[in-house]
Amino acid sequence: MQNLMNFRFALAALTMIAFLVSWSGAGYFGMELLAEIAILGLLAMSLDLLAGYTGLVSLGHAALFGCGAYAFAAFTVLWGWPASLAMAAATLLTGLLSLIVGAVVTRVQGIFFIMITLAIGEMGYEIIFKTRALGGDDGLAGIPRLDLTAIGVDLNDPGAFALFLLLILPVVYLLLRRLLASPYGAILNGLHDNPVRMRALGLPVQRYQISIFAFSGALAGFAGTLSAQHTMFITPQLLHWTTSGEVLIMVILGGLGTLVGPVIGAATVTLLRHELSDLTDYWSLWLGVFLILVVMGGKNGVVGWLEAGWSIVRRGRVKRSSNDASR
Amino acid sequence: MLRAENIYKCFGALQVTRDVSLKIPIGIRHAIIGPNGAGKTTLFNLLAGELTPDAGRILIDGQDVTAYAPDRRARRGLSRSFQKNSLFLNGTVRENLMLADIVTQRYGFHFWSRLSDNRRARDKTSAVAEQVGLADLLERGVSELSYGAQRQLEVGLALMGTPKVLLLDEPTSGMSPEETGRMLQLIDELPRDMAVLLIEHDMDLVFSHADRITVLNYGEILMEGTPQQVRGSDIVHETYLGGKAAH
Repeated sequence: MQNLMNFRFALAALTMIAFLVSWSGAGYFGMELLAEIAILGLLAMSLDLLAGYTGLVSLGHAALFGCGAYAFAAFTVLWGWPASLAMAAATLLTGLLSLIVGAVVTRVQGIFFIMITLAIGEMGYEIIFKTRALGGDDGLAGIPRLDLTAIGVDLNDPGAFALFLLLILPVVYLLLRRLLASPYGAILNGLHDNPVRMRALGLPVQRYQISIFAFSGALAGFAGTLSAQHTMFITPQLLHWTTSGEVLIMVILGGLGTLVGPVIGAATVTLLRHELSDLTDYWSLWLGVFLILVVMGGKNGVVGWLEAGWSIVRRGRVKRSSNDASR
Repeated sequence: MLRAENIYKCFGALQVTRDVSLKIPIGIRHAIIGPNGAGKTTLFNLLAGELTPDAGRILIDGQDVTAYAPDRRARRGLSRSFQKNSLFLNGTVRENLMLADIVTQRYGFHFWSRLSDNRRARDKTSAVAEQVGLADLLERGVSELSYGAQRQLEVGLALMGTPKVLLLDEPTSGMSPEETGRMLQLIDELPRDMAVLLIEHDMDLVFSHADRITVLNYGEILMEGTPQQVRGSDIVHETYLGGKAAH
């Protein structure tokens, strides 16, 4: 178990290095891609807390992501708040909303949970779609980025902005890793594995489910504020359930409950989309084939495959060294 | 101590529990026996809070807990094991016991301390593992354990919180004679400040290890008494022991 944790940590470090190396050589388009990957990586990690660790598969996560983005846009564009304050407020607001939504959706389990999160997410989409003050279906433009000129960084430069996001990613990863190694993290795993026993042991199950739903939602909202700053123009599509589905695919493709997996999944899906859409109109077909191949092996996504490969390599090495010793 | 007063429960037209009253004081090992379908597990679920009775009251330490959900009853000092193993199959034995410690000691909201740094919890899990005979298997994954060892862990989880009332649902079911012997010894050695209620299938075991026995049949109490009284009872022989032999 400890070995696995170390392997995943090494994998996360490697992923980060790969991001930074590609950043150093990237042009304008590459910077945009890296920024998108970082934001989706954050969102996918937040969903992994729910779906992977706690066993609460939500299909409405994009609505919380969009809530963060729209709240940020409203605070800055409509009310003229500074971006830093708007980021904090939008994250907090999404967390509060998630707390309320969480209190409702955790009353049901399994397939009903998936359906009710989907339904509530669609409600959010419809509300934004119909609200003229937020631009309705036209979307909302003119969103500013965080002003870091005080420390000599201009985030309007694509390279600086991409690096800014790429540095947030490992900070959040390390915070979540710490969270998951705590008693609270153990409770989340236990809730995934056997909620009935958790309740019999005396755990107020729903209270814990609500708390992680709210936290995960706040993190999704935070990713939303970054997404709004990245594109500087947002549409209700951000909240649509297909976006939720896509993020869920990233989590599953990368490896549920691995934390680094969802980031790898976000990178894989984003890259595949951009590379394949140049070659073929049917890029999502090939993404589907890839997903089926990864999942059919019975392994836990890309990370699961890598772990299986690593354990074969290690066993081989142990065998070889024991052979050497016996000679 | 645990008390049940005139409990009734029916599923549709089927009356599964009828006017059952129990009183299990501290230190007593009380067994419930009865043929399959006698309503033993239903009664257990009523006591643990998985089911709500149609009528009657359930009290822990004199406090009415009839309306309490299972987790709230557990926090009042009631702990249970399951007839079908209900473990955390993704973890090791240590992680299973650790989880029970977090829940029963109520520090699940600690989101920043490292679980691995908690020495008290480590010592406690080692002690309970020793108690249920799993000391050598602490770092083993639960899904790799033998059925008997999983059964031991099932009881171990229930013991983690040092409950006031312990409900054991057929703790020896499916065990080899050797494992059964060890489990019964474990039950004998449980601290005497605990009230223990167990369901058991094997009558012979019950007679030698329980202080009092309640015989259930069709959801009703047929009789209650000491092992000697139950063994000597004509009604019990007729409807339970005799009935079994006639099949």
